[in-house]
Amino acid sequence: MTPYTSLIDLAKTPKGQTDFVQQLSAVCDTLGLDYASYASTNPISGKVHAFTTYPDAWKEHYMGERFHLVDPTLKAASRSIAPVDWQRLRQDPGFQSVFHRARDFSLPQSGLTVPVRGPFGDTGLLSVTSDLTTPDWIKLKGQVIQQVQTLAVNLHDTVMHSERLSYLLGRATLSAREVEILQWIAAGKSQQDVADILSISVRTVEVHIRSSREKLCALTTAQAVGRAVSLGLITPG
Amino acid sequence: MLLVVDALNKHRFGAILDEMYQLRARVFQDRMGWDVNVHNGREIDLFDGLDPAYVITLNDSYGVTGCARLLQTTGPHMLSDVFFDILDGEPPLRSATVWESTRFCVDRQRLSGGHGKNTVSYTTSELMVGIMEYAKSAGIADIITVIDPLMDRILHRSDNAPYGYVGKTADMGKVKALAALIDCSDQRISKVRAFAGIDGDIFAPEEEVAAALAPTPDAAMNPELKTYMRDQITSAETERERAAAIALQNALSGAATSGSRAFDA
Repeated sequence: MTPYTSLIDLAKTPKGQTDFVQQLSAVCDTLGLDYASYASTNPISGKVHAFTTYPDAWKEHYMGERFHLVDPTLKAASRSIAPVDWQRLRQDPGFQSVFHRARDFSLPQSGLTVPVRGPFGDTGLLSVTSDLTTPDWIKLKGQVIQQVQTLAVNLHDTVMHSERLSYLLGRATLSAREVEILQWIAAGKSQQDVADILSISVRTVEVHIRSSREKLCALTTAQAVGRAVSLGLITPG
Repeated sequence: MLLVVDALNKHRFGAILDEMYQLRARVFQDRMGWDVNVHNGREIDLFDGLDPAYVITLNDSYGVTGCARLLQTTGPHMLSDVFFDILDGEPPLRSATVWESTRFCVDRQRLSGGHGKNTVSYTTSELMVGIMEYAKSAGIADIITVIDPLMDRILHRSDNAPYGYVGKTADMGKVKALAALIDCSDQRISKVRAFAGIDGDIFAPEEEVAAALAPTPDAAMNPELKTYMRDQITSAETERERAAAIALQNALSGAATSGSRAFDA
């Protein structure tokens, strides 16, 4: 993996400020979290993207101390397939140096990092934090973790697609089954109707729609249908 | 009982992973005749190098009785990169909330003629429940799992029938393989638990397994020193630190060869 020698702060780009940071803030507001950060490496372009809702003072301190080189929420978490609760990183040598200072900035100590693996060896990390007490944090985590997973992949794909080369390489590849199901949805059929038509279970229909939605970088099925139509994958219902 | 080993804790469980690779060689090459690479009696492929998570079933003496390998479907995984035949050339499912499970197997030799928890049927159910519970806690809703028809029949008989299949049944060697869909819902988890009679928390604490794997120090060793050495071994953060701690314990107890198991990996 590319070492985090330099970071590109997407928040400083005009598009980043309006799109990405706002998207992170919206994630925090919706799910009741305090701060969120995102970082990714793209092995094709060699770029490291990062942006966060953390206060500027902490951002400057973090970059100044080059914490990104030792921060276990970046280094260790990227090698897990499951979201990593920061509790699990306490043994990491880098943990104390970063989190001890974070406390001085009154930043929350509970958090979770969601590792995302993309198709071309690209990795993304969405970290969210909360200043809830441990039992409340565990409860909140259980409630939001599935949404955080979906949002992390959506955000990662959006960032990766913002680079031209990755966009061309990463165009959605839907299977014949996914196209078939999406075409029936576009024609106004319910998931139960589609299941009956194709003689498969409703959940199989649902998992294919979910996959199509995420391949098309859409958060809703209606959005996915729209994008599939505009890409010429299906015809308007 | 079950243990989840991933990139963050694998330095503590080298011996368990080594046993797992040997089990996979016996199952996938010897019994199922799949075209897999076996080196030195261990079946290891490229995907083992991608930091997957392994869900591993252990018997009471911490021996490996079954295993499965989990990868995200958003990145490189077997259905996207290897199992073309099953998908008939179609692109695979890709979702943040779907994981892929491959190399699912249980040790039929070790478990044949066993009783209670030491049976193929119980261990298969336990492994499935472990995968579903670990995945669910990570926010995963569904598992797509590559299995052989015999395993598929076992799932049907264990009140754990897949809710669907993707692609077709493909020839993989002596036996066929297919991709089945399993939801990680509370409903399915409790059904399989009820069928197999699985109660309570089935995940073994990491500390307990790490401590059990550490070689036993000389009985004559000073108890305080013994505790100190055990802490050093179980809290080691890298394989090198662990090996050094074990070597020191061996030197202190004068048993230079008893720790060989820890060096297997």
